Amino acid sequence: MDYDLARIDYTLCGITYPDSLKILPATEHKSQQKFVVGDKNGVLQCLSIKDEEPLVQFKTLPGKSITSVQLASSSGNNAEKIFAASGNEVKGYTRKGKVFLSIETSVAETITSMCVFGSDLVLCSGRTVTFYRELQEIYCYMCDDRVLDAVAFTTPNNIKVRLLVLIANKEAIIIENGSLYKRTYIAAGPTRITVPSCLHATEICVFYGGADGSIGVIFYEESILSSKCLVEGCCLGSVMCVGWFNNSSGTHLAVGRHDGSIQLYLINTENLKEKPRLKFTYFCGEPVTSVYGGCIGTEEPELLATTFSGRIFGLRSRRLVSGNVPTSNTKTVDAFVTRRSKLENEVARLEKQVANERDKYQRNTRSIYPGISAPPLLDIQYELSGATSNSWQEVKIISAVALDMLFIYCENKLDLQTDSAAVLSLCSAQEATHPELLATVRCQAGTRRLWLRMRTVSSAETQVEGTRVLIYVLPAGAPRVARLIKLHLPTLPHYSKYEPIEVEEKNSCWCELRVSGGFSVAEMTAWLSEALPGELPRPANNVAFARSHTILGTSLICRYQRGLAVFKSDNISTIAVLKDVISNCCVKRNIRADISCDIPDDYCIISFQNIKDKFKMEYDKNKDIEIKKAIRSLDLNEISINEETQKLLCKDYLQIFKKSDEDAETNFHDLIEAVKNWYLDWCKLSLNIQYNNDITILQNALKECLLEDITEILSKH
Amino acid sequence: MQASTVQPVFKLELNHKVTPGIVTIAKYDGIHSCLTASAGYDKIIIHHPHGAVISGRVQRSQAHGEVSELNLSQAVIALAAGAIKPDIARDMLLIGSPNQILAYDVHDNSDIFFKEASDGVNVIVVGHFGKYNEKLVIIGGNSSVMALNWQGVEQFWNVVGGKVCSMITFDFDKDGENELLIGCEDSYIKVLKNNQFVMELAETGPVICLSQISDVRFAYGLANGTIGIYEEGIRLWRVKSKQNSVSLQWSSENLASCWANGRIDWRDGTGRVVRRVQMRSNAAAMMLADYRCVGAPDLICVSDKGEVLGYPLIQENVSLNATSKRFPSEEDRLAITELLNKKQALLVELQHYEANSSSTANDDIERPSTAMPTNTRLQVAIAADSEENCLQLVISTNNDTLVRTAMVLAEGIFESGETLARHPHSNQLKSILYIPLKPPRDVPVDVHIKALVGYPDSEQFHIFEITKQLPRFSMYTIIVSPSIMKTPIESHVTFRITERVQRICIWLNQNFLLDEEVELENEDTKDLHISFLCLRDMCRLEIEYSADGQVKMSTSDIRLAGDLVQSLAIYLNLTDLQSTARFPEAEEKLRAEMSIVSEVGETRYRLAAETAEKAQLITALLPAAQDAAAYDLKEMLNRYKEVILLNEELLLNCHIRRATQEQAVTSLKNLHTILQQAARLRVGKYSKAVVTACRKAVNDNNVEALVKILQVGDT
Repeated sequence: MDYDLARIDYTLCGITYPDSLKILPATEHKSQQKFVVGDKNGVLQCLSIKDEEPLVQFKTLPGKSITSVQLASSSGNNAEKIFAASGNEVKGYTRKGKVFLSIETSVAETITSMCVFGSDLVLCSGRTVTFYRELQEIYCYMCDDRVLDAVAFTTPNNIKVRLLVLIANKEAIIIENGSLYKRTYIAAGPTRITVPSCLHATEICVFYGGADGSIGVIFYEESILSSKCLVEGCCLGSVMCVGWFNNSSGTHLAVGRHDGSIQLYLINTENLKEKPRLKFTYFCGEPVTSVYGGCIGTEEPELLATTFSGRIFGLRSRRLVSGNVPTSNTKTVDAFVTRRSKLENEVARLEKQVANERDKYQRNTRSIYPGISAPPLLDIQYELSGATSNSWQEVKIISAVALDMLFIYCENKLDLQTDSAAVLSLCSAQEATHPELLATVRCQAGTRRLWLRMRTVSSAETQVEGTRVLIYVLPAGAPRVARLIKLHLPTLPHYSKYEPIEVEEKNSCWCELRVSGGFSVAEMTAWLSEALPGELPRPANNVAFARSHTILGTSLICRYQRGLAVFKSDNISTIAVLKDVISNCCVKRNIRADISCDIPDDYCIISFQNIKDKFKMEYDKNKDIEIKKAIRSLDLNEISINEETQKLLCKDYLQIFKKSDEDAETNFHDLIEAVKNWYLDWCKLSLNIQYNNDITILQNALKECLLEDITEILSKH
Repeated sequence: MQASTVQPVFKLELNHKVTPGIVTIAKYDGIHSCLTASAGYDKIIIHHPHGAVISGRVQRSQAHGEVSELNLSQAVIALAAGAIKPDIARDMLLIGSPNQILAYDVHDNSDIFFKEASDGVNVIVVGHFGKYNEKLVIIGGNSSVMALNWQGVEQFWNVVGGKVCSMITFDFDKDGENELLIGCEDSYIKVLKNNQFVMELAETGPVICLSQISDVRFAYGLANGTIGIYEEGIRLWRVKSKQNSVSLQWSSENLASCWANGRIDWRDGTGRVVRRVQMRSNAAAMMLADYRCVGAPDLICVSDKGEVLGYPLIQENVSLNATSKRFPSEEDRLAITELLNKKQALLVELQHYEANSSSTANDDIERPSTAMPTNTRLQVAIAADSEENCLQLVISTNNDTLVRTAMVLAEGIFESGETLARHPHSNQLKSILYIPLKPPRDVPVDVHIKALVGYPDSEQFHIFEITKQLPRFSMYTIIVSPSIMKTPIESHVTFRITERVQRICIWLNQNFLLDEEVELENEDTKDLHISFLCLRDMCRLEIEYSADGQVKMSTSDIRLAGDLVQSLAIYLNLTDLQSTARFPEAEEKLRAEMSIVSEVGETRYRLAAETAEKAQLITALLPAAQDAAAYDLKEMLNRYKEVILLNEELLLNCHIRRATQEQAVTSLKNLHTILQQAARLRVGKYSKAVVTACRKAVNDNNVEALVKILQVGDT
């Protein structure tokens, strides 16, 4: 790590959403920059820092939550303008805080992100991207999934505007003139994009930060939109914001993550596709919502960041923080002392005020005429991911106040994992016969973010309903209220990977499930949400989407309209589960529906052929891991293994032993289970008689990876 | 939370694995420190960076030039070092094996003594204790402690309740003489003074490390991840972690704690983390020693891969921030961050009250689902439930609000984890909730209750927190109906005290969970008879006090009797108490265990001899077989067959030996438990006398004497 930056806290604001802090460009006569920040309370404030003390330039009254703040791009005549989106409104402010523009747009949902480009305004809200020119709506493009972020570019002849849009189904698309121009799929799941300032106006090249913590570039060259991952996620949280930081050594990409990490990557501006070099990492302990560089407190550039709970702090070079340099500037010292005492006084005053209010509140508890205690909802955000390779589903919880405990309840048994800093304690069940889960998670002091991983232990009983999990979140301080989070673990948690619908053309052995009856599209969407993780497309006349299995790679294609739904999959077990889920829903809703399946006779054998290579690979990997385990338990000395003269291990074993631990996970057992279930489901759905004997033979053959035996059994009927 | 990191002042690699916990630092030549550790089953490594010449049995290691190896034929369980030999300043190495202890002079390459330890060796400490002039070697076994002098002569012996996990010598009562603090597997820290237990501190898990941090304070660490500090028997603070502590040391006004996963953190006077570092692999040990020869000790951390890191006690950069008029330092920045943290928390709380009062102002609007009347209060009671064999914790609200869920936080009383929770099914929600508690031990327990109160469809619930204390004997409920009191209880302990009956009543009220306090019928009542029922196994306990000061406690459980005697003695401030006891079950068990112990001892010698004989045969046969390969393959095969047969026999023998060894250890442990319980029926010098007499009787294999001691004490 090259840079030594230290934290300086400036001030507090309300809860902030991603990308709601911006640094204003420097003016001619002053090099120190101001910044604007908008928060959940609807307050937009413009601040400058003098001697580390924040000075308010202007501040608006509270109102609707501000979800995005943008500055006009440097080109054009309104470079100094600030745009703030709240709900479906956009307001424009001058540097002085005067409102010069206020429009109520026609978008149905909250604006989550926007982009100002000359006199054009691009709004992302829900699934739509809306394009405004001169405050007139030009077009509105409907995407397949939620829109995450968008940037605008001009076409080479400088007439049209191209939009590069990130969509939640892990796609990046280019929209031109209101229609789809190009698209690409990015496995990392980009969440935020930013345009490097060194770019030529006509080139399209952006940096993205992914949901898996990775960083990469998306570029459009020779009529192809493609992407390249530059930095792997390596166990860091998902990226929440990206920004730029320039100093004497060059241009840096600043990345703020969900796990509280802030990183600086040095970018080669000549070759953007070169791997950026990590220069600095800082952990602030709570999700970072914005991060930008600028000359804020001093003449030297520093990094400015906001967090979810509303902390605004700078990261500046340590020699400017703890002055080992002899300082003649006694003014700073005095300023610091006054700042500190001012803050101390303020805290003391607040303490008194809070004590008064607390008293009042507690007096109420003893009064005969009871009032009502209705505390506002705790600010807690959470997100449930689809199942990853080991079937774990992760929920991330972030809170504006420090957490004390979580209490988790589920009617079924679950496996649980949590942060290493928290203490997970499983309670004994309430009744011996009932398979419940009661667990508590005790957090370390100051915890504001936490993840929990869970997976169902036995899928058999929960197949139809999905699993409901209740999490009670208890904060450490006041208000003494606990918020309840209800989670639903779907029946097919592995289908979290979005695929283009073209996956249908894949050469595979497809099983089909056809449902017809008196249901609406909305109802079908609701039923599917029991089975599939993540968000489903909004109900429309005709819905079609595809997902794929994170371990097996099998696909599921859903097409439905009013009264008819067709599901295709090359995984027969998926079809079997879906059939159960839908028929169960129909019965519950009292809707008559005809359900029919179309299963190819040679399904099992063809499908197995498709995964055969993968199966063999996983088998070998599993074997290696077992051998490694055995070698490890011999407890050999590192030195004696490497000894040239006395060879303890044969070559093959030495190779296995030296393999890194990172890929020490296999899905071999999952694969066995899957193939077995395919066979069972195939027997069930195609009404073949199932031989008990066969299944044990099959299982043993799978375990030993006897490919010929497996093929023989699967192609028997 | 902000915590800065520290840089090590030195770093070295031993190139050997290190067994966690079996590490010590000693000055074998009296001047230079040498790190000594167990590197696997029976290998000891000695690191001598200062070039001390080591010869004899110790061999230079191939893996590292400054490391020497010492091979033993037995597993190394514990290591300690100290200048035990009078008038010699050199440290002697003490090596603990499963069944013996060896004192070895590394410098002179000579054995000082060798001693069998039938009760096993878990911990060895060297230090001054009580009135003994010379340094003693104190050995903690599976259920006993034994002290030896430098010649290997036993100085004293005592029984403890469980396996000894940690020990230190420490002047607990500040009388100028060291006491012995023993951390046991049965979750007690015991203070042994003058071979008599003067204090027991109940903890919530096996006590795996103890460390002196000042004249009056010591730190402790438990197997459930708790660490904390005691001062004069009062706990100052404790924190709990997921990891177990390997070692605790006092370092520049901070408690440095080394965790099993290789993390080291420094905590200030309240337990808050000030600094932390992470080693590259799991930790093996942490010690204080002057390893750089600079005149001041460093904190030396050893990882299980053999990495050694040294941290200075005092952070050098502290001195920089001495003057007041200076550029703001990093600490000041942290102070600002901290102030803003505080401000943020206060603002959130204030917002909550404001939002609340604004919603109360217009309460005509329909009630939001998270609201509830402000005068809602939570009531908590504890009642004995003899049908469910447990205590019922009853939580209820005073209006129509419901107890959605309740969590009980306490340590050491639940089967799994540190919490017990109740979350009724949504159609069984009531404003009252029962939580069954079953404390497994008779110790006072603090239970912390968090209840979430609201309505069935609430999205948010109010948290009510209450702490309740369960008295020591809460699992015993008073018997009101005298119908089942007919059969007399055979087992009992009786003693005589000179106290008024009223005092006994107060003791009962304080230590038992009673619906109504025990009161005397009138002023003149001089005697008392009271019966309890144990909720765990439904057996009876009767306490009688007659006018002449005779107390009779009748129960079939000798351990309970001991607990009662000790508790009463502490309450009444009795220094010495003699008693007579009659516990036929315990006596029966004592006889049985004694016969097993003596039997096993005999077979062990026989088996050992047999094994040695066969091993010798094999060593003769094996070269013979190899020779045969040269001229007669058939002969070779035959000889190898013999070797295999012998080997199998040897293995079988080994299994038998292990089984008998295990049996011997359990029997010895059971025996020691009974002896300890017998000692606990008496207080003070009588208790000590019981232990001494028992030791003698066990050594003489005199069962009847033991039973006699159990009954009447040592007379």
